[in-house]
Amino acid sequence: MPPNASSAEAGVTIEFAALAEQRVYLMRIARMELRDEHAAEDCVSDVLTQAYERRAAFRGDSSLRTWLTSILKNRIIDLLRKQWREQPIEEGPSGEQDFDNLFDETGHYAEMPSHVRDPADLCQEEGFLSAVQRCVDRLPKRIGQVFVLREVFGSDTKELCKDLGLTTSNVWVQLYRARMMLRTCLEKNGFGNAQPG
Amino acid sequence: MRSLARHKMIRLSCQQASRLLSQQQDEPLMFGKRVRLRLHLMYCDACTNVSRQFATLRMAMHRWRDKD
Repeated sequence: MPPNASSAEAGVTIEFAALAEQRVYLMRIARMELRDEHAAEDCVSDVLTQAYERRAAFRGDSSLRTWLTSILKNRIIDLLRKQWREQPIEEGPSGEQDFDNLFDETGHYAEMPSHVRDPADLCQEEGFLSAVQRCVDRLPKRIGQVFVLREVFGSDTKELCKDLGLTTSNVWVQLYRARMMLRTCLEKNGFGNAQPG
Repeated sequence: MRSLARHKMIRLSCQQASRLLSQQQDEPLMFGKRVRLRLHLMYCDACTNVSRQFATLRMAMHRWRDKD
C-alpha cells in the first residue's frame, strides 16, 4: 500500500526529524523578515513546536515547507503588529517627491538604468543572490519588512493591508520605495557587474 | 475612455511609469493605466530596463527563498 493511502483520513504522518530539516530554511527567511537573530530563533522554535503539536492537521496537499512557511508567516505578522503598535510610523510625506534626484526636470531618468541581459541566468548566480540579500538587508526596516512579506512570504496587497493595517496606497508606496532602493543598490553591485560590456 | 482623448493625460513621465511598473508587480493595472504604461514603454528604453530589473528582482527573491 502506498504510504499516502493509509494516512488519507488521518492526515500525513510527520516525523519531528522532517520538521527539523526545514529549520535552516525557516531561520533564513525569518531572519530576513525580522532582522533580529534572537527573535528569529524564538519564532522558528515556536513554529516547529506548534507544527509538531498540530501535525495531524497537515493534509499533505501542499508541501511541508509551504505549510511551515504559512505558520511562520502568521507568527511573524503577530510580532510585526505588536512591534509596529509600540513604535508608530516614522513616515515621511508619502510620495511625489520620492527619488526625485534620479529624474531630470522633465521626469525622465537622469542616468540610464542598466539593461539586464538574461534575468534567469543572472538569478542562477550565487553572487548575485547574495548581492540582492545584502541590498534587502540594508533597506529601511519597515520598507524591508513589507517587501519581504510580499516577495518571500507571498502576501498580496490585500493581505498586507489587512495584516499590517495599511492602506492600499501605502502598501504600493512602500513596495515602490523598496524596489527603487533595491534597483539603485544593485546598479552598483549586481545588475552592472555581472553583465560586462 | 475620457483620459485617452486627452493627449497630455496619456504621456507618462518615467517617474510615473516606474510607479506603475512597481504597482503592476502587485496587482493588475486598470485599463487606462495599462495602456499608458504600454505606450510609454514603446519609446522609453530607460523604463524598459527598469521593468526588466523589477522582474529580475522578483525572480531573484524567489530563487533566494527556494535555493536549498
